[in-house]
Amino acid sequence: MPADPQLKEQVERAIADNPVLLFMKGTPDMPRCGFSMRVVGVLEQVGVEYGAIDVLPALQPLREVTTELSDWQTFPQLYVNGELVGGCDIVEEMLESGELAELLGVEQPADTAAPEAHRILPGGSQQSPPMQVE
Amino acid sequence: MADLDEIKRMIEAAVPGAEVELLDEGGGDHLRAIVAAPQFDSMKRIDQHRAIRNAVRERFEDGSIHALSIETTVLGSD
Repeated sequence: MPADPQLKEQVERAIADNPVLLFMKGTPDMPRCGFSMRVVGVLEQVGVEYGAIDVLPALQPLREVTTELSDWQTFPQLYVNGELVGGCDIVEEMLESGELAELLGVEQPADTAAPEAHRILPGGSQQSPPMQVE
Repeated sequence: MADLDEIKRMIEAAVPGAEVELLDEGGGDHLRAIVAAPQFDSMKRIDQHRAIRNAVRERFEDGSIHALSIETTVLGSD
């Protein structure tokens, strides 16, 4: 289904207006999904200012918008300087490798211990949360 | 229920030269793809994941895959 043009325009404007923007389930204070919560944790850890949009009130319409804009359907989605960086696992990997701090132009935080899921994988594999299609 | 051999071939076709391991994580439709490829070296992570997911998009759409976890590594980097 094609995305709602008005919503798409709103999303494009939000991405353009916020150098760091997180589309998440719930809010930073009250995340409603573990993956969203982990990305909030990463952003808090690097100490960067960011905007957040709760996708739950319009999940399917927003999925259609991000599919058209970024070829990506699952949330959370982190945008930096207008571009989709990734979801939870890409963001966590980039935190650990220092790529995220570099991208955000901040100092690498001191404590970037790998989350449980990554420690068991040798060589720093990159994982995605499962893509779900309802 | 996904045909793992077919899905592995779809990923291999989309990412030439890749080493692909495909695991059934439950029920035959929750899969994990572990993909190593030399060309990932010059690709953003998001594009690595896009390439793999788009390779098997048809199998999402027909319902044979419900969830796919993706792990990527650069082949030859270790």
